[in-house]
Amino acid sequence: MTDTDRLIDPLTRSELLKRAGAGALGLSSASLLAAACGSGSSGSSSAASDVIAGQAILANYPGWMGKNNLADFHKKYPQASIKMISNATSSTAEVVLQFKSRQYDFLLSDTSDSGQAADAGLITQIDWSKVPNVANISEKFRKAYPWGLPTDYGKVGIAYRPDLIGNATITSWHDLWELIPKYPGQTIFIDLERDCMGSTCKYLGFSSNTTDPGELQKVQDAIVSVKPHLAAFKNTDVGAGLLTGANSMVMDWDYDVALLQQKNDKIKWVLPDEGVHAYLEGFTAVKNTSKIAVIEAFLNFLATPPQYADFVNTTGTAYMMPKATPLVEKTISQNPILVPTDAVLAKTEFDKYLGGAGATLWSNTWTAIKAA
Amino acid sequence: MAPPPAEPRRRRPPALSGLSRHALLLPTLIITALCFLIPLGLIAVYSFGTVNQVNFDVYFGWTTQNYRDFTSSLYLHTLARSVFLSVSTTLSCALLGFIFAYYISRQGPRAQRLLLVAVIVPFWTSFIVRTYAWVDLLQNFGPLDRFARALGLGGHIDLLYTPYSIGIGILYSYLPLMILPIYVSLERIDPALYDAAADLGATPFRQFRRVVLPHAVPGLIAGIIIVGVPALGEYVIPEILGGGKTLMAGNLLADQFLQTGNYPFGSALAVTVMVVLMAMLFLLRRAQPEAELQ
Repeated sequence: MTDTDRLIDPLTRSELLKRAGAGALGLSSASLLAAACGSGSSGSSSAASDVIAGQAILANYPGWMGKNNLADFHKKYPQASIKMISNATSSTAEVVLQFKSRQYDFLLSDTSDSGQAADAGLITQIDWSKVPNVANISEKFRKAYPWGLPTDYGKVGIAYRPDLIGNATITSWHDLWELIPKYPGQTIFIDLERDCMGSTCKYLGFSSNTTDPGELQKVQDAIVSVKPHLAAFKNTDVGAGLLTGANSMVMDWDYDVALLQQKNDKIKWVLPDEGVHAYLEGFTAVKNTSKIAVIEAFLNFLATPPQYADFVNTTGTAYMMPKATPLVEKTISQNPILVPTDAVLAKTEFDKYLGGAGATLWSNTWTAIKAA
Repeated sequence: MAPPPAEPRRRRPPALSGLSRHALLLPTLIITALCFLIPLGLIAVYSFGTVNQVNFDVYFGWTTQNYRDFTSSLYLHTLARSVFLSVSTTLSCALLGFIFAYYISRQGPRAQRLLLVAVIVPFWTSFIVRTYAWVDLLQNFGPLDRFARALGLGGHIDLLYTPYSIGIGILYSYLPLMILPIYVSLERIDPALYDAAADLGATPFRQFRRVVLPHAVPGLIAGIIIVGVPALGEYVIPEILGGGKTLMAGNLLADQFLQTGNYPFGSALAVTVMVVLMAMLFLLRRAQPEAELQ
């Protein structure tokens, strides 16, 4: 069993989270204070701040950065900065093409994206001796995302408004597929190949990392069968229509639903009985980037608890740095949607890179779904 | 009696040698080659290639597989949907544009200027912003939906993210491009022609059919070309108002370059769309001289 496999093994994952929780509770106030001051391992970077210079360009999901992360980094390293270009990508190929485009120095990418980019020889491996704060990230996540700094993970489930669907109860993907034609034009699916097709794999009882052409054909058929009744495929503001009532059912990410529930308590979150698909993502450097020193300094900076907490508090994502827990807002750190139990983890399957042939098959299936 | 002053002889510009005449054409030729011919040639070459879908390197094995793939019912259905949507919205634009242009051309000079400014004003706002504005207007619980419910129509309008919302978006965005050439054609009609037609006993309908319409045809055809060509390849409006559900040829094509990384298949799509467009333009060009002769 590889380390990556261990991450997606439910028992190992739950063990990890238990340990993470225990570690968070055991934090001393002294270490917290040190962390809040941005010291600790990052202290060594102050000497290096003289040589960290230049602007690194980051391709990132819209709004996927702490409110103060970039400004604080520039304060710490006045000669360096990060220019963030928002980009809501919807397929692995799109992200890998960005790795290849030479327009960016580093990117937000998930395990599938980075795995394929690494396979294609399009990434620069981080020199971890220059990013000592990576130790703050739980080891299992680091091993599952070896290409760069893992930042967040999330599950894809169902969010819905019972009051808009005759107080029906949804507990499974099967329920969702049954209800979509009954409430035409009210359901949103995620416009991301891995998340949308992965969730449909779960509905059909398949692994969300399947590369079986027959199974993927069934996935295509299942999505195409409800496509005429969907409102839209979206990859930003996916669940926003639940607030206004424009949509009643949404295939959505956990962090998005956690934020929406703070605005409207009628919104319910479901981890479907059949299981859920999950992603793990982080920042990976592009091959031959000339700004690797800036990138490593930034990743090291972001991996300090206060900066990482800013990232988590802004994005509302599930997090992977136990030391940051005291600094993370309670609406996140104590949210059952974002802090999964053993039972939840037992039915969660994380993304894996599927290899060249598998990635091509998924890509072609997704194109066929969108064209249908 | 003094002889009339000799008319000054107009000095003719010195004749250019053949070489100089060709030299004057050079900048245009260079720009045309760099911006049009070479990219088109590259697209044609790419359309016969294959792609490694791990690293997206393109290989030129001179295969026709991409064109064969395109003939699958899935993609032909998308092309047919695009042609239908662009033709129907272009015809709607032509109908509405003609009515607007005719109304404007029959006003006094001051009113004409004001109405023309009103037609052009929307162009002062970003195209993207105008298109996103339709999301708010068309969505359930939006202004149109509330208005419909206030009228007691019941239920929601369910317009957003449908082919209808794409049609509305294209109609709205391209209507000014239809109005202006038709207006230019109609504005040139000598008012005496209307009087002459009336004196000869033509009814208003006959005047319209025998005087107005023939004069409007060149503008109509120009408008149809200006609207129809970009409408067939439209990418932004279906992306914003189609909700990723109603794929048109433009989206399918862009997805091959931006999302799937299949440049050869995208190039084959581009070549096919170009051929369809050229066929449509050829038919329109054939119709134009006949209309002008009438």
